[in-house]
Amino acid sequence: MPDSAPRIRSFRTILLLSLALLAPAAAVPQTTAPPQTTAPLQTTAATPGGFVGSVTCRTCHPDVWQNFYKNPHYKSVASGKEPPEKTGCEGCHGAGAAHVAARGGKTTIPHAYSLMQPEQILENCLSCHAKDVSRANIRRSAHTEANVVCSNCHSIHKSQAPKYLLAAAQQKDLCYQCHATQRAQFEMPSKHRVNEGVVQCSDCHNPHGAFAATWRTGQRPRLVNQASNNEETCIKCHQDKRGPFVFEHAATRVDGCEACHLPHGSMNSKLLRRPNTFTVCLECHNGAGSFGRQANGVLLQSSQHNMLDPRFQNCTNCHVRIHGSNADQNFLR
Amino acid sequence: MRRYLLFSLILPLLAVAQDTIAPTTGETVGPPRGVNHGDYNVIQQWETGYRYSLVGGDVGKYRSDVNFRNGIRLLNSSLSANSRDGHGKYFDEIVLNTQGLGNDPYESAMLRVQKNRLYRYDMQWRLNDYFNPGLATAGGLHFANLQQRWQDHELVMFPQSKIKLRGGYSRHKEDGPALTTINLFDNLRGDIFNLFSNVKREFNAYRIGADVDALGFRLTVLRTWEFYKEDTPYSLGAPPSGVNTTGAGTLTSFNRAAPIHGSTPAWLVALSTERKHFAFNGRFTNSAGRRNFIQNESAIGTGLSGAANRLVITYGDARRPVTTGDVNLTFFATNRITITNNTSLDNRRMDGNSVYQQFDFASLTFVTYNFQFLGIRRIINSTDVHVRATKKVDLFGGYRFSNREIRSIQSVADPLTPFSNELTTQQNTVHAGIAGVNWTIHSALRLHLEAELGRNDNPFYPISERNYHTLDARLQYRKRSLTASTGYKQNYNNNSVSLANYSTHSRNYFGNFSWAARSWISLDTGYSRLHLDSAGGIQFFAGAPRATLSQGTSVYISNIHAANLGVRLVLKKADIYAGYNITRDTGDGRPGRLTTGTLDALFYNAQTYPLSFQTPMLRLTLPVTARLKWNAGFQYYGYHEEFGLNFGLQNYHAATGYTSLLWAF
Repeated sequence: MPDSAPRIRSFRTILLLSLALLAPAAAVPQTTAPPQTTAPLQTTAATPGGFVGSVTCRTCHPDVWQNFYKNPHYKSVASGKEPPEKTGCEGCHGAGAAHVAARGGKTTIPHAYSLMQPEQILENCLSCHAKDVSRANIRRSAHTEANVVCSNCHSIHKSQAPKYLLAAAQQKDLCYQCHATQRAQFEMPSKHRVNEGVVQCSDCHNPHGAFAATWRTGQRPRLVNQASNNEETCIKCHQDKRGPFVFEHAATRVDGCEACHLPHGSMNSKLLRRPNTFTVCLECHNGAGSFGRQANGVLLQSSQHNMLDPRFQNCTNCHVRIHGSNADQNFLR
Repeated sequence: MRRYLLFSLILPLLAVAQDTIAPTTGETVGPPRGVNHGDYNVIQQWETGYRYSLVGGDVGKYRSDVNFRNGIRLLNSSLSANSRDGHGKYFDEIVLNTQGLGNDPYESAMLRVQKNRLYRYDMQWRLNDYFNPGLATAGGLHFANLQQRWQDHELVMFPQSKIKLRGGYSRHKEDGPALTTINLFDNLRGDIFNLFSNVKREFNAYRIGADVDALGFRLTVLRTWEFYKEDTPYSLGAPPSGVNTTGAGTLTSFNRAAPIHGSTPAWLVALSTERKHFAFNGRFTNSAGRRNFIQNESAIGTGLSGAANRLVITYGDARRPVTTGDVNLTFFATNRITITNNTSLDNRRMDGNSVYQQFDFASLTFVTYNFQFLGIRRIINSTDVHVRATKKVDLFGGYRFSNREIRSIQSVADPLTPFSNELTTQQNTVHAGIAGVNWTIHSALRLHLEAELGRNDNPFYPISERNYHTLDARLQYRKRSLTASTGYKQNYNNNSVSLANYSTHSRNYFGNFSWAARSWISLDTGYSRLHLDSAGGIQFFAGAPRATLSQGTSVYISNIHAANLGVRLVLKKADIYAGYNITRDTGDGRPGRLTTGTLDALFYNAQTYPLSFQTPMLRLTLPVTARLKWNAGFQYYGYHEEFGLNFGLQNYHAATGYTSLLWAF
């Protein structure tokens, strides 16, 4: 086996590294002697709550500990000022005395995430992360209702993305795991550039739950962020459509941009809901019913507009300021 | 040893799927790697190479959809430096990732620098080359070749303390050449003229705030100032005749100056607490959007009635104050029952001062208009209950109520005339209920079912939701490295009143399969079908020789099939990835378009838009040394419309690819 020698040397390296890392632990006073059937565990004295400290944990879990200094949760360890129930391994997994006494085993860990129910995982994480404004709606979010909780999207020990500890290297890959329809939409010819890396799902969405949308009737959409805390998310980038305008196209304020556009992707140009402009417009501007600002139908097009004449089939050729205008009530300039 | 080290260095990089078009990988927190410098561990990865593209067919459409061009790029880079003891002198972590720098149409950079307990700084910079020929919406007259750049900076001081201070700055700039149109000299029968504009838009936002933790509460206060300005100049090239061949207009001189400058100061105040039996959080926001504008436009030419000389002066301001309040109360009734109630209030008013004066020097007449007021007030209340019936089954349900009042004042004539304003107030109320179940059938198999039923008594638009329901079903199997899921989603809406019936049926189906069978082979595949059909009653004017009021039905049918397949092989001396994506809209299955020019053809041709878009790709990675890899990728783009729209086909095909070297330290 030509590779055996390097492997042995590599093993030695790991062993030496492990010993080097464990050396400080050896300096810590040990607790009562464990059963003598195997080598003794290096532990610190358990506090009244049964907390043994991260030093004890790393004795058996060097693989987790070795890289933990890169983990955002390491801050609580580095701080050295946090109470035992809020720092290191036991900050998330609970007091480890029973686990140490039993010489391992998942069932002896108070908070073993692979054995916990989704709501327990949620509550455990929220014990520290609940008070951020961005998570204010997490308990009523669509994700929580579907039992999609923190550990479904975040990986604390095996994250491929250092920022936010995502469970996938790129945010989109994480979202696509469940949102196959949106994945298909982002593969369409006209789309927001999510796959290209310019736009991320979280630019528009808050996966932790959003406040009631301030457009439409607030029932849906349910996971959409708000620009300036209370305006439709689209205007974060499309500032020229934001207004306020003297002559608002009421549809954009009342029902939002989605009245005419498909935000993820579309087979139609400009993310429009229909391939032809005039069909987008005529579906509302038909003069019938009790709709619109005067509740007597959305304005019917002029009798001068002969739809058989191609010039009237591209409505936005004349109505260029269709998102709102300061200079013309018909959006002509 | 060398080979083993090489493999151990390369393996984490290969574990991340590279895209041909976006080779950014991101750093892994997996096995330790990198170099220790003092108290820091440093990892670097730089990928630079040449990207090429060969495009045939409609280049404008290609640039609108894909836009990759030739040239040398820093395709991807990442740098991270971590303090090994969490007590660095100036910082404890630096993370820098970049993508596409050099000249890619999509570029980005992300930086995070932080020192535990003292500060955290995040920066994001992005660039998007936006190209759109505007063919489908304006027959090519609304062309845009813009560059959009965003940057966001966020600094948090004392991020782990009970009092956090935060400040931020965001900037968005958009500029570049564009074409637009102007209708002159008769609003209804005038001709269309092409205008050149040099787009200049700029947005700046400043934020400052604090989080205070005290007595079990967290209080967040954030003050924001946003500024926007648009100074796009418009000009006329050579004096043109109108775009429409049947139009009688000419334009010999045109000038427009239309600067818009605005600001939006905003407040956010939030309060939250978590207790044993309840959680509370509330939010109050107020923003006062305002934009000042002036437009001076002069046009000289000929219209329907001969010589035309028109001057338009508009000036004033528009305001939109928005006030929003939200309160969430969660009760943990028992260990198994959670009840959450949300109440939201939103109030926005759009008004302002403006004068619109249009002078016609030929007839010595002028017209004046005032602003239009639009006010929207909404009250929303929702209650959600989540019950964990057993360890494997939990149920949830909710009721949502929304009441919205829309108030409108519009000038119907010269505002100087008494009683010229039309004031309208209308309300609509939505009652909606949701219910669902999560069932863990087996430790690896989960089922999610959800339904929503809603009733809106007075929707604002014909296409708004009125009588609607949604269904959502998902089944997922996940065990170790295998994930399989399938689902169905349905959204039906029926919005019918006299003369206008509108109904839409959306049905989505999907299936995914992902399996890392061995350490050296993985497979990812999926299929989605998105069906949409809608039918709406419409009225319009059409006919020859004179247009008359006609009634008809606008029908649209879309059947989109989307499939993706990716296979990755991590061999001893090579990493190979092959993938294929296809999106195909089969429409309603018709063979082609009708000859245009008749009313039947007009709407028949707008009912469906079958096309396909496919992108096969192949990537190869070969290790050269322990720290060096050679990459090559190829991706083909094929866009094919079955029978196009009125202006013809926009089909294109493009072969793109790159070759690069990646250094990893």
